Amino acid sequence: MRNIDDIDEITRALARVEPGKPGGRASDAGARKLLAAIVAEQPGPSGVRPRPRPRPVRRLVLGLAGAGLLAVGVVVGPSLLKEGGTPSYAVTKEPDGVVYVRIRDFRDKAGLAKRLKELDVPATVDYVPPGQWCREPRGTPVRDIPRGLYSVPESILGEEHGPGWQMRIDTKLFKPGQTFVWTISDHRTSTILMSGPVAPCVLVPHTSREPKVGTSDYRLATLKGRSLAGFRVDEKTVGEVLPELKRRGFKVEYLIMAVAPDNPGGFGELRTQTKPVGDDWIVWEAEESVRDSGLIRLLVTGKRFDRNPVYGGPRDDVIKE
Amino acid sequence: MGGEPVRFEALYRETYGRITAYAARRCHSPQDAADVVAETFAIAWRRMGEVPEGERAILWLYGVARRVLANHYRVEGRRQALSVELDAEMADLYQAAPDSGVELTAIAQIFRALPDTDRELLSLIAWEGLDRQQIASVLGMSRNAVRIRLHRARRRFARALAEAGVHVTSHGRLAPAEGHL
Repeated sequence: MRNIDDIDEITRALARVEPGKPGGRASDAGARKLLAAIVAEQPGPSGVRPRPRPRPVRRLVLGLAGAGLLAVGVVVGPSLLKEGGTPSYAVTKEPDGVVYVRIRDFRDKAGLAKRLKELDVPATVDYVPPGQWCREPRGTPVRDIPRGLYSVPESILGEEHGPGWQMRIDTKLFKPGQTFVWTISDHRTSTILMSGPVAPCVLVPHTSREPKVGTSDYRLATLKGRSLAGFRVDEKTVGEVLPELKRRGFKVEYLIMAVAPDNPGGFGELRTQTKPVGDDWIVWEAEESVRDSGLIRLLVTGKRFDRNPVYGGPRDDVIKE
Repeated sequence: MGGEPVRFEALYRETYGRITAYAARRCHSPQDAADVVAETFAIAWRRMGEVPEGERAILWLYGVARRVLANHYRVEGRRQALSVELDAEMADLYQAAPDSGVELTAIAQIFRALPDTDRELLSLIAWEGLDRQQIASVLGMSRNAVRIRLHRARRRFARALAEAGVHVTSHGRLAPAEGHL
C-alpha cells in the first residue's frame, strides 16, 4: 500500500481549486449581488436569536436585490397587506402597451386580478396568510425573460416611507402561454414568470419551503455501496418494487411527491407516510434512512409522468455508475 | 437585532472564498457549484442563530454545504433563483480541468467511484486542509470514528489504484509544472 502522504498527495492533485486557494472573491460582482439578495430575505424562524422585524426602510434594498434575481423572475418585494386598510390599487395602460401597476394596500386580490386581465396582463394573484405559502412547484419558470418585460417594484414617488410599490410591465413582451404568478404575503411578494399551466395555490405551512438539508434523514439507496445497490426502482410501479423489498426484509414508507403540471423537473414533498399506496403508483427513486438501516423510503406519485421528476429525465443521465 | 446582517456579512466575506472552493471542487458544473454556494449561504442567513462564532463557523458551513450537495440532485433542472449571478465567476474556476492528462483522468475516475464518505474524508484532509478534529465537527462523527474511517478510506483508495494498475511513481508526474504543487 502506498503511504499516507502519497494518497493525500494524489488526492490533492485532483482538486479543481488548488488546496489553500480561495474559489471566488467576496468582492466580485456576482458575490456581492448574492449577498444582497440573501440579506433581503427574511431570516427563518429556526434561529435562536430574535427574528428581525420587517422594517419599511428595507424596501428599497429589497427592490434592488430583486434586480439581481430578475433573470429567473423572482422578485422579493415589500409588504402589501395592512390590517384595516381599504382596497387600493391602480393599474393603468399606456397606448404603447406598457402597464403600470401601483399597489398601496392589498385586500382585493380578485379585483386586482380582474383589472390585470382587462388590460391583457396574464397574471394569477394569490394572497397567503402569515406562516403559509403556496405549495411548490406550481409550474415551469421562464428562464429567458426578455429585457424590459417588467421592472423591479419600486417606491411610489413621494411616498417613500409608505407600504406601497409600483412596477412597470411591458405587455408586448409576453409570449403566448406565459403567466405572471404573484404570491403575496404580509412581508414578502414573489413574482415569477411561468410558461404553460400553473397549478392553483394550495396553502402549506411556510416552513415546508425551507430546504430539508438541516434534517436530512434519508439518502439515495440505489447507489453503489448502499442498501439497494444494483436494484433499480425508478419508473417501476409500487407493485413491481415491493416484493423485492419485502424479500430483503425492509420496512417501507412512502414520500408522496408533488409535481408541477408541466413536470419541469424537481418536486415538492407532500408528506411521508407508512400507509401503503396503490400497487399501480409509480416509484421514481428509493432512499434509505440514515438512522434505521432497515427502512426504505420510496419516492412516489399516483400517476406516471413522461419523465422522472427526481432527475428531470432518465436517472442514467444524472447518475453514472 | 440589527447586528444580524452585519454579522452575516462578516461571515460571508470571511468564508466566501473557501465555500466557493469547496463547491467547485465537488461539483461537475459551475452552475451546480453556484447553486450549492447560494443555498449554503441562504441557509446560513436563515439560521444565523445556530452559526457558531469564530473558527468553528467555517466547519458549520462545510457541514451545511455537504448536505446541500447531497440533496442537490433533487433540484437538478430547476435552477436556484439566487445563484444565477454566480455562474460566470464559477465558470472561471472550471477553465482548466484539474484532471487533464491520462493519468489524472484515470485517477479521478477511481476517486469518484469511492464511497461518498471515503471521498469526503480524503477531500476534507487534502483539499480543505482540515485536521481530524475539524472533520469530526463537519461530519458529526467522533474523532475516533474519523481516524478509523480515514484509515480505511486511504486503504480503499490505494487498493483501487493498485487494482486499476495506476502507478504513480513521483509527485512530479501528478502535478505538472503549471499545476498543483
